[in-house]
Formats: sequence, structure tokens, C-alpha cells
Amino acid sequence: MGVNVVENTIYIRMRHRLQVRPHDSIKLQDVAQIIAEDSLLEKVKECIVYTVSEKDQNIIILDVMKVIPILTNVVEQINIEIIGQTQTIVEVVYKKIGVSIPLFILIWLLLFFGAALAIMNFHEDVSMQAVHQRIYKIITGKENIKPLIFQIPYSIGLGLGMILFFNHVFKKRLNEEPSPLEVEMFNYQQDLDRYVIINENEESMKRIHHDH
Amino acid sequence: MIINIVFIIFIGLAGGIAVGSGFVAFLTVLGVIPRLTQLSKTMKMIHWYEGSVVFGAVAGTIASLRDPALFLPSIILIPLGLAGGVFVGLLAAALTEVLNVFPILAKRVRIEDKIMILMMAFVFGKIFGSLFHWMYFVNE
Repeated sequence: MGVNVVENTIYIRMRHRLQVRPHDSIKLQDVAQIIAEDSLLEKVKECIVYTVSEKDQNIIILDVMKVIPILTNVVEQINIEIIGQTQTIVEVVYKKIGVSIPLFILIWLLLFFGAALAIMNFHEDVSMQAVHQRIYKIITGKENIKPLIFQIPYSIGLGLGMILFFNHVFKKRLNEEPSPLEVEMFNYQQDLDRYVIINENEESMKRIHHDH
Repeated sequence: MIINIVFIIFIGLAGGIAVGSGFVAFLTVLGVIPRLTQLSKTMKMIHWYEGSVVFGAVAGTIASLRDPALFLPSIILIPLGLAGGVFVGLLAAALTEVLNVFPILAKRVRIEDKIMILMMAFVFGKIFGSLFHWMYFVNE
């Protein structure tokens, strides 16, 4: 009997994220990584775990608690071992919405002029002009109201510094490490994922009704 | 009299410590130095970079409190200006990053893949704004 238990063991690790189209059927092998004995694997991997329907919105949380009963229905006396996380975020991709070019140009211009205005305000705020005049006097010993020989390299350096920080010269990167921006995008996505895992998963919250 | 002098020295020292630690805290929060060491793979030299920041801050303090004049050729101002600009650029980029502007913006308008083009809007905007400010805006 002991051998039998081991033979019927199936290891499941839910995937983090899955993209499906509307009306797709999600199979177990789509939603999870599976390790099992070959004959068992054949039986379970095509099991339909969930069918996407009209009433689903664009995010479905598939909890492992919904997957287990389906497996136990297909194979009797199955020993399921769950490894790693217990839910998959299923994203229903409706018709792919393209980026509208006018909107993109608008945002580009917004950022461009916003950045320009912000740096001018910053320079006024910290009296940058006076500091530059002072630096000119310290180095050369002469007065210069508009020390452009200092200020034009300063302006170019400003852009270089920002590119350096974000580790990108246009499309070309300076080394393989992810840039802070990419890490920040990743963190933001993780926060969103954690939110939907808790809030879109009806199994994770339960309210006991006392009112009759 | 001596009490006055001691008191003034004490206040000056206290003020210097407050401003100096504030400056270091600001740099630490923005993470400019770790970013530079990460890019250049010179983690072991980080103590030298600390020294450089402290030495630079002290030199700047002396230069702004006293009134030295070095009578050097003005061509030296080009690398100085470039270095100052890069530093302010790093600070500006770090500040944008701390405020989380780009991830939210990119997510909202669904342009995760074009985020670098948006970044470039920001960079060119800064350069343009800065040049405009120095060449046309200030009239003193």
C-alpha cells in the first residue's frame, strides 16, 4: 500500500500569471507546472479547470482550492502536494487595444514641457544663476553676469546624468543589470498582483451574515 | 567674552552637523552613489566616493563662505559645468524614480514598451528648459 501512495502523488506548482482569450478553456497544464508519474500525468494534464465565460471580468484568480476537487474527481486516491504559491492570476485578454498615437504625442509633449518648466523653477528656487556667477568669479577672478561657458555644459550634463541613472542611451543599455525604472515597474506590478490576489479571490475573504 | 566665543563655536558646529547630516541623508535616500558604483562595478571603492562627497561639500562651503579667486582660464569651467550638470541630472532622475511617476503613467496609458521614449521626453525637456533658462529667461 505504501508504494501505491507514492505512485499516486502529484506535485503541483501554480503559475504566477496566465493570459487567456475569452471563451478559452483553461487546462491544468496551462495553469500549473505538474510532476507526476507518466500515466497519472496523462490523465490529469488535460483536465479542464475553468472555462472563461462572458460574466468574467478581465482578471480571474484561480485558487488551488478550486483545482483540487477537480483532480480528486478524475483520479481516486490521489495525493496532491502543492509547492509554492496557491493561486494563479488569469488575465483575460480581449481585443488588443493599441496605443493611440495622438495620445502618446500629447503625453510626450506634456512630459517635455513639464520637465522644462520644472527645471526652470528649480533653478530659480535655489538661485542657481547667482551660484553660477559666483563659481565663474571664483575660477577666473572676473565678473560675468551670464557665465554661459559654465551653463551650457551644465545643461548637457543634466541630460547625461538622467540617462546615466536610468542606464539607457536610447535603446542601448550600458550593462545587463535592470535599470531602476524596470525594477520600479516590476515592484508596481507585484503590488497590483498582491492586491488582486486578495481582493478578486472570493475564497480569501468570508463574511458571516448575522442579519436575517 | 570667552563664554560668548565658545557658545558661538558650539552653535556653528551644531549647525554644520545638522546641515551635513541632512545632506548625506538626502544623498542616501536618493541612492545616487550606489547607482554609480553599480554601473561602474566599483563597489570596493565606495569609501573613496564617500570621501569625495565630504571633501566636495567642505570645499564648496569654504568657497561660498570665504571669497577666493583662483584666476584660472575660463576653459576649466566646461568640465566643471558638465560634472555639476551630471550630478543634478542624477538627483533629478532619482527623485522622479522615488516618486514613482513613470510606472503609474505607463500603466495608465498602456505603453510599457514605449516607456523609454517617454523618458527621453523628460530628458530633452530638462536640457531644453535649462538652456532656455540660461540663454533667454534670465536678464540680470
